[in-house]
Amino acid sequence: MTPRKDLLDIASLTDEEIEFILSNAVPFKDLFKRSVKKVPTLKGRTMLTLFYEPSTRTRSSFEVAASRLSADVTHFDLDSSSVVKGESILDTVETLEAMRVDYIVVRHKQSGIPNLIAKNTAASVINAGDGWHAHPTQALLDAFTLREVFKDLRGARCLIAGDIQHSRVARSTSLLLRRLGMNVAYLAPGSLMPKGTPEEIPCFGNWTDALEWKPDVVYLLRVQSERLEEPFFPNAAEYHKYYGLTDARVQILRERGIYLMHPGPVNRGVEITDRGMDYEKSLINQQVENGIAVRMSVLYWLRPGAE
Amino acid sequence: MKRLYRNAQIASEDSPKLQTADVLVEGDRIIGVAASITDATDVEIIDCSGRVLIPSLFDIHVHAREPGQETKENIATCAEAAINGGVTGFIMMPNTLPAIDNAGVVRSVLESARGTRIGPGIFTSGAITKGRKGEELAGIAGMKNAGAVMLTDDGFPVDNPQVLRRAMEYARDFDIPLASHCEVKELSGKGSMHEGSVSYSLGLQGIPAISEEICIARDIRLAEFTGVHLNIQHVTTARGMETINRARDRGIRVTCEIAPHHLMFSHEDVGNYDTHYKMNPPLRTKEDNAALLQGLIDGWFDVIATDHAPHTPFEKNQDFASAPFGITGLETALPSLNDRFISKGLLGWDVLVKRYSAEPRRLFKLAPVPIVEGGLAEFIVFNPERYTLFTRDFMKSKSINTPFLDKAVKGLIERVIYRGKELLVR
Repeated sequence: MTPRKDLLDIASLTDEEIEFILSNAVPFKDLFKRSVKKVPTLKGRTMLTLFYEPSTRTRSSFEVAASRLSADVTHFDLDSSSVVKGESILDTVETLEAMRVDYIVVRHKQSGIPNLIAKNTAASVINAGDGWHAHPTQALLDAFTLREVFKDLRGARCLIAGDIQHSRVARSTSLLLRRLGMNVAYLAPGSLMPKGTPEEIPCFGNWTDALEWKPDVVYLLRVQSERLEEPFFPNAAEYHKYYGLTDARVQILRERGIYLMHPGPVNRGVEITDRGMDYEKSLINQQVENGIAVRMSVLYWLRPGAE
Repeated sequence: MKRLYRNAQIASEDSPKLQTADVLVEGDRIIGVAASITDATDVEIIDCSGRVLIPSLFDIHVHAREPGQETKENIATCAEAAINGGVTGFIMMPNTLPAIDNAGVVRSVLESARGTRIGPGIFTSGAITKGRKGEELAGIAGMKNAGAVMLTDDGFPVDNPQVLRRAMEYARDFDIPLASHCEVKELSGKGSMHEGSVSYSLGLQGIPAISEEICIARDIRLAEFTGVHLNIQHVTTARGMETINRARDRGIRVTCEIAPHHLMFSHEDVGNYDTHYKMNPPLRTKEDNAALLQGLIDGWFDVIATDHAPHTPFEKNQDFASAPFGITGLETALPSLNDRFISKGLLGWDVLVKRYSAEPRRLFKLAPVPIVEGGLAEFIVFNPERYTLFTRDFMKSKSINTPFLDKAVKGLIERVIYRGKELLVR
């Protein structure tokens, strides 16, 4: 396996690399049951988080993962002033380069920013979510979680439901699950279903058709109605009624033994109800826990300075 | 002192076949074109075996960036870039800072142009609306009197159809063509590339084909209604092209441009966020490429025009959505068209001459420059077998935002003759 500097998306991973990351996450997860959850693997290394978009969950997950590997953790505070002052991203990267950090974990609202940063630094760049493009560690933790549930992912069916258009999670997770042999379908209102989806992904516009496809897992996406700049749907209540996981739909999931996933944070009352959150076959908390193990595995796998 | 271009292959708009001949130049004129000229005295002989002589090119869509954006380009560097690409005449776009939207700025840019080596070949367009804001009409008659040859808000459509209607009525009466950058802004939104499979996988907001096609249909309908000569800039979709062709068949005064990059590249070339493939309108699909090439062969496009759009490396070296639209084209057009199409037999020399030399001049009531006895000596000596490597040093434009940067293509411009003078020899 050629050493890799960056994790930017799922598309550039080889099958061997995917397997390496997922299988090594298993022993890392076993660590969590011990009283001392720390190993010295990355002692002396520094991981810096560079978040242009707030995300306490993902950032904490990376920070916990790095600490458990004994890496030093710091974050680059992007108070809006430096952005407003017109410092370009590459100016910032030059500053970070001078600090000689080993790993840069980036989140940005524009697609492709981690690629741009990776080209301009010797540090390992990990994409923690860029625009609508990719969220590779989310995809890896989703695959890891599903491998804990299903012995064999091949042939299993995952329905991803919600705002597909603006979702990097949908793009990355669907790509990875399909590469691992799963079938993936999308469910969204037509206005949130992107053009140009891969032909292999069936696209549904309502729950009836989507459930007839017989999913084993329903993966709900967060609907960020407050951040949508255009009217993609009339209002949250209508969205919930037609596209959300209502209590009646939770009941269908229960009857059919369908698992439930969500990347968090959840929008209660929009894509899911309060009672839906208590659904016994929800994997949401497992996803969070696995996120740390998978991110440890990614940090362990990457080689700063490679390529 | 005369110059004899011996044993050359002469390209013309009338035949796909090249004619082997000697071409004798004296002063600014071609004084002889014949199978063999042996009786000339006091003559410098230039062996043109294997070379194609092409009437020099004329590009009706060029961003010279002066005034206001001289870090990208200025008229002097733009003229040198043009010469480097065999282009000895072009029309500047008015999206400068300030916009070319009044007679004063028109005079100022034309004066700047006069100082270049192809001064008389450089023309300017003027904005349709003040500041290209789409609100109030610019001083159309004044600009025309000062020398503007076309009106356009290029870079933007005129959103308000009533404003466009008034502009067209006015332009018609002052007999000046009006060129449209066709796009429904609301449909394009903040899109940065064609909406399709690649925008999906890169997670970029797309610019749908309908954004361009709907505006083409609207502007044509307004042109029919007003009777203006409408020129549709940089057509990118098969559907848009068909709409224009149907309008022409109905007798509407509409002409259109095709840019070389829309023939050669598709949205798939954006690859990993390569901003050298970001332009507006965007690269479409491979099916569009093929249909547009066929359209060019079939005479559906009046002219080839590059939309030469220089930007600095700093501006282009951003994330895809933030980087500006546009690539340079003056220096790469001819060699790349040869490399991709002519050398492979996909496009005839006659189409190139007609669409990139003769017709663009006719569109603006200028005389074409065919290589004939008595004609103006204004042609290119082109070696279709040698390669051009587009390095920073090779290019004369201030900017190097081209997909061809540091790439080699088949075909090299060896000489550029303008009014009898050899402006470039290599």
